[in-house]
Amino acid sequence: MARRKVNGYAAIGFPTWAYVVFFFIVPLALVLWYSFGYKPDLFTAHANDILSFDRYAEALDATFVGTFWNTLRIGVIGTLLCLIIALPFAYWLAVKMNPKWRPLALALVLVPFWTNFLVRTLGWQIVLSPRGFLSDALQNLGIIHGRLDILYTQSAVQLGVVYNYLPLMILPLYVAIDRAGRPLREASADLGANRWKTLFTVTLPLAVPGIASGCLLVFIPLMGDYITASVLGGAQGNMIGQLVASQFNTAQNWALGSAMAVLLMVFTAAAVIVFGAAGLIIRSLVRRSRRVQLQGGAA
Amino acid sequence: MVERPDIRALVPRASAARLSRRAFLSGLVVIGGTSVLAACAKSTGFAPSALPDGRVEGKLNVYSWGDYDDPSNIRSFQKSGTSVQFDSFGSNEELIAKLGATRGTSGYDIIVPTGSYIPMMAKNGLLEPLDHRYLKNMGNIDPLYLDQSWDPGNKYTVCKDWGTTGFVYDTRAIKRDLLTWGDFLDAATTEASKNVALLEDPWEVACTFFAANGIDPNTTKKADLEAANEYLVNTLAPHVKAFNSVAVTSGIPEETFTLMQAFNGDVRQGLLATDKPDAWKFVYPTPTANLWMDNWAIARGAQNMDAAYQFIDYILKPEVSFREVDYIGYSTGIKDLAAMAKKHDFSYPELVFPDAEVIQRLTPAEVNSSAGELVAILNRMMAKAGS
Amino acid sequence: MSNTSPTRPEADGSVSLVGITKTFGNATAVDHIDLEVRSGEFISLLGPSGCGKTTLLRMIAGFEQPDEGDILVGGASVVDLPPHRRPVNTVFQSYALFPHMTVAENVAYGLRQRRVPKDEIARRVQDSLALAQMVDFADRKPTTLSGGQQQRVALARALVNRPKVLLLDEPMSALDRKLREEMQIELKLLQRELGITFIFVTHDQAEALSMSDRVVVMEKGAVQQLGTTEEVYRDPANAFVAGFIGKQNFIDATVSSPDALTTADGSIPLHRLPQGVTSGSSVRAAVRAEVVQVSAQRPNGPALQGTLAGISFLGDSIQYVVLTASGLELIARVSPDRAEHLSTGDTVWCSWDASELRVFEAAA
Repeated sequence: MARRKVNGYAAIGFPTWAYVVFFFIVPLALVLWYSFGYKPDLFTAHANDILSFDRYAEALDATFVGTFWNTLRIGVIGTLLCLIIALPFAYWLAVKMNPKWRPLALALVLVPFWTNFLVRTLGWQIVLSPRGFLSDALQNLGIIHGRLDILYTQSAVQLGVVYNYLPLMILPLYVAIDRAGRPLREASADLGANRWKTLFTVTLPLAVPGIASGCLLVFIPLMGDYITASVLGGAQGNMIGQLVASQFNTAQNWALGSAMAVLLMVFTAAAVIVFGAAGLIIRSLVRRSRRVQLQGGAA
Repeated sequence: MVERPDIRALVPRASAARLSRRAFLSGLVVIGGTSVLAACAKSTGFAPSALPDGRVEGKLNVYSWGDYDDPSNIRSFQKSGTSVQFDSFGSNEELIAKLGATRGTSGYDIIVPTGSYIPMMAKNGLLEPLDHRYLKNMGNIDPLYLDQSWDPGNKYTVCKDWGTTGFVYDTRAIKRDLLTWGDFLDAATTEASKNVALLEDPWEVACTFFAANGIDPNTTKKADLEAANEYLVNTLAPHVKAFNSVAVTSGIPEETFTLMQAFNGDVRQGLLATDKPDAWKFVYPTPTANLWMDNWAIARGAQNMDAAYQFIDYILKPEVSFREVDYIGYSTGIKDLAAMAKKHDFSYPELVFPDAEVIQRLTPAEVNSSAGELVAILNRMMAKAGS
Repeated sequence: MSNTSPTRPEADGSVSLVGITKTFGNATAVDHIDLEVRSGEFISLLGPSGCGKTTLLRMIAGFEQPDEGDILVGGASVVDLPPHRRPVNTVFQSYALFPHMTVAENVAYGLRQRRVPKDEIARRVQDSLALAQMVDFADRKPTTLSGGQQQRVALARALVNRPKVLLLDEPMSALDRKLREEMQIELKLLQRELGITFIFVTHDQAEALSMSDRVVVMEKGAVQQLGTTEEVYRDPANAFVAGFIGKQNFIDATVSSPDALTTADGSIPLHRLPQGVTSGSSVRAAVRAEVVQVSAQRPNGPALQGTLAGISFLGDSIQYVVLTASGLELIARVSPDRAEHLSTGDTVWCSWDASELRVFEAAA
């Protein structure tokens, strides 16, 4: 009886684990497998008859490390910028906006996703160009003197990634803030907290899971992005995704490309763990600060 | 590989010249598809092609790069009673992967591979040998574009269009005449420093150094590669603003750079889009540069043989071919196009039809054992420039 | 609950609503309401959903702004103050406990906003949790508590701030019946002890009657009747109140003489005629189910005859449904020890003391 039940659950769960196995575990295992191989000759991308860690040694050169730090900087700043922009926007959407207009606003947030990633990044090339309308407008307003010199710089990449990934931050934040709900904000006000206190002691702490998932949704794909950097970045905005892509596409060295991809995953995971640990420490400090020590109570 | 969407939907023709298929992909993919080939070479058994029987079929399937033929030419060809169905691929890998996987049953009759891929495609049986008896207009092709190293005797392919690499500079910023790759590198590290765009293409970037120093661009010698690495990474890279194969078409009208390595037809697109074309000068640098060529070929397993031959033969007609040139912005290699261009008031013909002397000094890029190292050099340059 | 009373307010906990009107779009939620709540009284706002009672409460708390009118707490206008500066606290229908804080942290929240010293916070949280009998749960998260426990925490969280006025928005609606009855008693005792003004919103007339000093019966944004529980129960001001309080039988009738009504099923005696109603006018008579006697024998004096259509046991009473010849349905609730032995289909007689009959003008 119990056994049949277990089998029943396994059957119901089939689409889930089949999805995970075929679309996540198998490709990941292949990349891992390739990374221990080598490129035997010009016309073959990988071979695995001799296994070694040599590709990792090859991948971990100064080029990779330097580009990784560059990528990490862009990733961290990009994620923080997304958070700073998305927080007030999601708050406004979830709290202030007339619920009637919310579906429309959410649809507008997603409009850029209707367009190909590459095309919308290319759009920024036109906007940011030194003789483009933005440049003209800023010059006419006297904000800048001389032409806008931002295209093909790291700032352009930073702007591009914020633009490309911002919706991925807004949506989970919106859901989290919306879920915290009006009753809790009213209870907070009722107990004497003004809007800012309510924001920082009720709304934001309850939005932490949304903030965390938004940061992950932005940071992880951003670390692997190579299109934004390739289109807007120029020499200064070089990102590690371009290195990996060049091994797979241009050099046709799948072994080295796989090793780079694995290293990127490991380093990105390490970065996430470090940031996650920092978040946990902050949380425990906040909790300690609001703890109530009852006198002689059961607590 | 990234998809290649129809960019022109986004960008008005006047404000930013359209991105040719070369500009878009050359940098990202030079070599490829080989692992698929390795796999398909192991087994035999390709579906055979139909033989031409003189009865032209009612349909034809063409697998080509997106937006790579003049629609008016296609429409007039269809008036003969054969409807043409176009499918597009974004890279040679994609083309090869599809042909390899379907083993002659892809349904495609005509395909458009790039020259450097043709030896391996032929070796792996993806191409149907051409019967020149059905291509009466092959005589219209300038002999310069026949009998290329990667397809001796045009056994499998005929030229669809071709181009070369040079550089363009802003004469307001660089007041001297630049003629050679040596001049290019000199200007890049002086007047144009931090305003230089290189193609995001390992072979092309390395070629600037090899050509400037009298070394064969297809060299595989370790010492040559080490010297290129030393100069390109440590000397040139810090002066580079962007590695970007799409830079020139927008870079000229928007004046993003003062010195750009670029494909000839793309420079013309840039000049057509700018309001100050006189400020720019394009150079076919000495001593040599790349000559790349896309080619018409018939896929193994083609079922509409007669229509395929008829279509290729039709495209080789001079007046048809001229419309192709006008549409795609690159030369098709047909004789006397330059004269027709003059008659039709074609702008900047010199950017599409270089002198024979220029053509004769070009070197087709080869896929050889230095490819991996060239990629590593470009990556190191990008890391260095970004640091 | 505990005998210690940590929060006895010296300040005046009266609440005055003066001409309060609130509309949402085209709908008028509250229509020119005037109300005087005395300091220290337990008053209920009773009415069906949509009658405006919750809107009224939210306006006192400050979550909604009235379109017109003034709200005074302890004689001072609070209408321009934001919620966090009003001397009132609320127990919410959903409790609205902060899920990321422990019980003790929830209770301490209001004190912390007022920058009460830390040791005083600890003492008052302790006392308040003791009052709510929740000390043992101080370090639990609200989500791990039962509905009744959550409600006690919500109460403790509000009371710890020593508000002049406590607003309760249907706080019992999520509790099961037994717990609700227990809480009603506790809540009433607590309110007596603390002397805080309680304004209690409910749609449950039994709840309102069992706890309140006075009841405000509301309908369509207006006060239908304000009175003690006794007054509202015994002497409803109009047919709506009569229908809302207790189980009423309504009988359409005509006034035939100053002391009798003519109904479709015969004449019934009348104790007194309300002012303004004259002989010959159509009226609506109401008699509560609790006072209707059902008997197989025709009683002395007037009675309505009918057929017993249904019998159901309600636990503390037996409910009879009697159908008269004209199709009128009469409901009677009789204490089991006074009930006769009857079966469905029997011909029965319904009677009541004439003084229990209320007469209202027929609805226009």
